[in-house]
Amino acid sequence: MASLLEISDVSVRFGGLVAVDGVSLAVGAGEICALIGPNGAGKTTLFNAVSGNAAISSGRILLKGEPIHGLAPHQISAKGVRRTFQNGGLFAGLTALENVLVGLHAKVGSGFLGLLAGARASERAESSSTEQARALLDLMEVGHIADELASDLSGGQQRIVEIVRAIATEPPLLLLDEPAVGLAPHMREQLVRIIRRLAAEQGVGILLIEHAIELVMAVADRVVVLNYGRKVADAPPEQVRADKAVLEAYLGHA
Amino acid sequence: MTDAAPIANPTGKSGRSKPPAARQRRTLFWAVPLLLLPLPLFLDQYKQYVANLILVYVPVAVGFNIVIGNLGLLAFSNVAFFGIGAYASGVLALKLGWPWWTTILPAGLMGALAGCTASVPALRGVRLFYLAIMTLAFGELLRWVYIRWVPVTGGSFGMSVPQPSVLGWTLSTEGQKFYVFLVLAVLAVVLTDRILRSRFGRAFMAIKDNELAAAAMGIPTDRYILLAFAWSGFVVGIGGSMYAALVGHVTPVAFDLTELILEFAVVMVGGLGSLVGSVVGAAVITAAPEFFRGLPGAQELLFGVLIVLVILFLPRGLASLLARLHPIFVDRHYRD
Repeated sequence: MASLLEISDVSVRFGGLVAVDGVSLAVGAGEICALIGPNGAGKTTLFNAVSGNAAISSGRILLKGEPIHGLAPHQISAKGVRRTFQNGGLFAGLTALENVLVGLHAKVGSGFLGLLAGARASERAESSSTEQARALLDLMEVGHIADELASDLSGGQQRIVEIVRAIATEPPLLLLDEPAVGLAPHMREQLVRIIRRLAAEQGVGILLIEHAIELVMAVADRVVVLNYGRKVADAPPEQVRADKAVLEAYLGHA
Repeated sequence: MTDAAPIANPTGKSGRSKPPAARQRRTLFWAVPLLLLPLPLFLDQYKQYVANLILVYVPVAVGFNIVIGNLGLLAFSNVAFFGIGAYASGVLALKLGWPWWTTILPAGLMGALAGCTASVPALRGVRLFYLAIMTLAFGELLRWVYIRWVPVTGGSFGMSVPQPSVLGWTLSTEGQKFYVFLVLAVLAVVLTDRILRSRFGRAFMAIKDNELAAAAMGIPTDRYILLAFAWSGFVVGIGGSMYAALVGHVTPVAFDLTELILEFAVVMVGGLGSLVGSVVGAAVITAAPEFFRGLPGAQELLFGVLIVLVILFLPRGLASLLARLHPIFVDRHYRD
């Protein structure tokens, strides 16, 4: 049985720089896989390769056994790979609710001509999606900020809303790029809870980049460590913690 | 597993009626034109002409605002769509003898075609100042065509457009034109409002805020940029057709850079990204010079000062002032 996401021997080069160097890893449905490593190790580049924002120079990326490398980002997204962004990717001028509605974009069944004609079906599609988006925000414990502009939200709230937006279409695979950056402790707990529920209840495969090591240890089923674009470890968290190569990656040669 | 509630498939009740704001907004779209119906009884021919010109600038500003305000691209091809619409109507009416009202839709479609053409640099990834200069060049290129293609356009002297008619009725007075223009202007606003409030409008604004994230949400950004330009061109092209009917004469000079700056001022003074702003801007910028008419020489100066003051104290335009007065004017969906 093929994994949900299979990255095999993937390299990404920018000119002479090899940002990702022959990395292979797999994420199964319902599995939480953390991607860690020092700054510049190629974690975000690997994410960009999976989401179609960076071209791979060799290797293969398969989603449910089907190659997705070479597709445009919106096509990969339509196939069920959703991501969040390291620096926050919310649409600042839209409300939290509207952000989630953009996440639902493909599922809102309103047609252009139908809208122009004021067709009931189009309007109903819009309003039922609005209901769905509101319910999602409620479920993720951020329903009270639905009508706030994204730019008015706290950093933590923005992170949560971005995750809600990403999972709105029930994607099988979720890529989270440093979701815990700048989060207050209680927001971190909420985040951990959400990530666990997504994997356990929805069977979402999650690939997670994170520097907050205690969060990684708390949620990850498996930890993959990158250093200088190469994979140096791929094991359950408690093993990785004791791994010599990992210590070297973080602390330099002893 | 204790929490039984599924996460991404909430059982939200569907079909709840529209929020009151949207319904109120709709009332505004129909109430304001209704209040304007008796207007021709109070205006002389010249003032009525100015009122009609305002109605011409409503679709022109609405279309421009979609691209620069909602989609957020610095594309200055608006005057090209305006000119194409005017010439399309003029040529069809003069050369082919079509009654004016049958040229409105073709003018819009020609505008949409010009919109698609003007979107090409943006689709190739050109942005900011580079896009601005390329789209400016597009407008100037079309002006060159109007001047050189003499057999069709009449060259620098332009062409006279036959008196407009609708369903066999000739619109011989400004008051008669007013009612037809009012219908067209209202349609432009109402239809554009429907688009902006839908997933299409949200896609435009998502692209404006963060193109990468929009694509990551499955939005084919190219297709939506094309759509925004096409709709913009369609609406502005219809404005061009109205202009041809109003002025009765189409010349290249009417679609030069000065005209573009005027249209830009309409959007900026009204409110970037605001539909209400497009309407208010059209009214204020078109009517203002008339108020300064009694002060020859100072006219341009006062007009300039007015624009500067509005932008200085109301960077979100006059629409933001109205929004403070009553929530019905709030363009919640079109903020920047």
